[in-house]
Amino acid sequence: MTIDRWIEFAKGPLFAVTFMVMVLGLGRQVLLQFYFLGVKKGRRLRNVHWKQVARETSSWVVPVRHMEPGTGLFSVASYLMHVGVLLVPLFLVDHIALWNAFLGLHLPAIGEGTADALTLLTISCAILLLVMRLLRSRHRLVSRPADYLLLMAVLLPFLSGYLASHPSVNPCPWNVMMLTHLLSAELLFVLMPFTKLAHVVLFFFDRISVVHWQLRPGAGDRVAEALYRKEVGAR
Amino acid sequence: METQTIAAKRDEIATPARRAFPYHVLEKPGDNLVDRFLEAFAWVLEYTDYKPLLDSYCRSTAKCNRCAVACPILLASGDPRDIPCYRTNLLLDTYRRYFTMGGWVKARFTTPFELTEELLYEMGDVFYRCTVCRRCTRSCPLGFDHGLITRLGRYLLSLVGIVPKALQVSVQEQLEGETHNTSKVSRAGLLDVLSFLSEEMEESLGVKLDFPTDETDRDYVFFCAVSDYLMEPDTLMGNAAVLYAAGDWDRWTIGLCNYDGINYGLFYSDWHLEQIIKRLVAEVDRLKGRSVLIGECGHASRAAHDFIPTFMGQRAPPVRNFMEYTLDCLRAGKISLDPDVVTERVTYHDPCNLARSGWIVDQPREILRSFCRDYVDMTPKGADNYCCGGGGGLVSIDELHDFRMEIAGKVKAEQIARTGADIVVAPCANCKKQLKELVEHYEIPCTVVGLHDLVLRAIEIPGGKSPVERRAEAALFAI
Ligand code: SF4
Ligand code: SF4
Repeated sequence: MTIDRWIEFAKGPLFAVTFMVMVLGLGRQVLLQFYFLGVKKGRRLRNVHWKQVARETSSWVVPVRHMEPGTGLFSVASYLMHVGVLLVPLFLVDHIALWNAFLGLHLPAIGEGTADALTLLTISCAILLLVMRLLRSRHRLVSRPADYLLLMAVLLPFLSGYLASHPSVNPCPWNVMMLTHLLSAELLFVLMPFTKLAHVVLFFFDRISVVHWQLRPGAGDRVAEALYRKEVGAR
Repeated sequence: METQTIAAKRDEIATPARRAFPYHVLEKPGDNLVDRFLEAFAWVLEYTDYKPLLDSYCRSTAKCNRCAVACPILLASGDPRDIPCYRTNLLLDTYRRYFTMGGWVKARFTTPFELTEELLYEMGDVFYRCTVCRRCTRSCPLGFDHGLITRLGRYLLSLVGIVPKALQVSVQEQLEGETHNTSKVSRAGLLDVLSFLSEEMEESLGVKLDFPTDETDRDYVFFCAVSDYLMEPDTLMGNAAVLYAAGDWDRWTIGLCNYDGINYGLFYSDWHLEQIIKRLVAEVDRLKGRSVLIGECGHASRAAHDFIPTFMGQRAPPVRNFMEYTLDCLRAGKISLDPDVVTERVTYHDPCNLARSGWIVDQPREILRSFCRDYVDMTPKGADNYCCGGGGGLVSIDELHDFRMEIAGKVKAEQIARTGADIVVAPCANCKKQLKELVEHYEIPCTVVGLHDLVLRAIEIPGGKSPVERRAEAALFAI
């Protein structure tokens, strides 16, 4: 198969399949959260101050008040990267046709100049984050390989997309770059539900740690009994 | 306390090999520690609701290290083991490896993470370096509650016998001992204290009051940290003065079967937490009381306020902290506070258990501002306050004294010194103890008191001596 045929394949069936994986996978995560809340915690949810949870969660959408000394550069870079990661894939002119074809969505487009600027911003922020994670010992200590790899996986579609649409800086043939772009984006779709990228939906649930403080009545008793039974059995 | 610290030091010298934990444990952690830990972990996952929590934390941790700048322990120690996310990951890694599919698969193909005895010892150490103040939670973009994880870690460790003796002995006395309270105050001892308090009040306030004990059908059943009966007479007299001045003397009572609001279960064990809550509610039921009134204690208030509804559901009596009650009286004009008696500079320390959730932040400030001429706030304050350094039960563990002074309380001490206050108000038995030790250790020229200690000085007592009169008497006495 030629590269162009591959591109057709990646734009067509592969896109549909990977996109479905993402939607179903993330949907499963959301359903699990609701299952946990509704069935497991049930009535105890009444003890939770939902307004406060909502206020806290929304305060992170524009986290100005969370800017603390010592978190500056990392936080700003991370925030800007998220802005780009959310806006560019959705509203880029070239993507809009894709959304239209697959989902029947008519999204407004952002101007090409804005899109370019956002993409470059995202790329530079992602690289900056990667470098900081590599160089700062405190970050290295809490990082697992996945943390580096996922950041690179996010970086790739942006980098390849930018190069593909700017022939003057693109070192490889257009179609190779385009294929890279498509495949790396699809890789992200697949990774999303199964890795920490799932925070795209879990973000809205993680702040409910107050819910987790609603311990299950009688659970402590049952644990103690189970351990005691075993101890007695062993004698 | 002093003697015990010395005993602890002698112990260190006697066993040159580094002790596994910086605190004393009751039983020697026996053989097969790792296996037993994993088994306990498995049962906990089976019967409690922690699994979804661990699942979602494993999935969405961003590892951004924002929490690191929020933690006062880490700020003071600089020890990477104190990075909240690092500590939490000790437990998450264990969970991933032994209780998830992904971990199992990964273990087949790579050199897997392995839980060892050393790691358990490290957990035993670091989980008691965190004061469960939950300040970091507010800095985490994903809202990770490291306090919750620390507590879970401690719970699991306690199931294999790794738990500070100081906590365990207290709780045992509370649940199984003769006195049923953490400080072993007998019923006769309590009655003695109460009659002493009423004599004191007669002398200083000029009114004769008998403390209501074991009365039924009252609106408020009063619980404070039982240690207050031994160490904080002024706070208690302040509480009593408010109840009397507001005309509510016939509406409250102290139960004689259970008068201890302390709940160390909040710090380390789900089982103990629930049992102690149930005992508290049983006492209220016995007295046919209509609500629970908790004295000046942060963790006791939070335990009752948050966990009575959790464990009791529909049958939960309403819970209030005493400061809420006092503020209501003040607003309704039932009590009045003389603004001319407290002239020193006053600042307020937010106990984490009251303030972090935003529950009690403005109430005490409103009370203090109403009668303290020179009131200043610390920065940061309220829900963003710094922990005193003795939270999460640490203050009760004498072996951790040096750690509490040098590291855990360092940021707080600096903060207090910056305010230039003469009086630090800390409405919590734990915070008070820690802060008193702290200002002594850092030689900060100020005193640490409860909020009602100040209220006691300024409150107008109907039919009694006026605040100004009392101040003059006290001054005379001091000479
Ligand atoms: S709960 Fe408090 S002491 Fe523990 S890690 Fe968070 S900020 Fe530090
Ligand atoms: S702030 Fe939250 S996401 Fe970031 S490292 Fe700490 S716990 Fe992890």
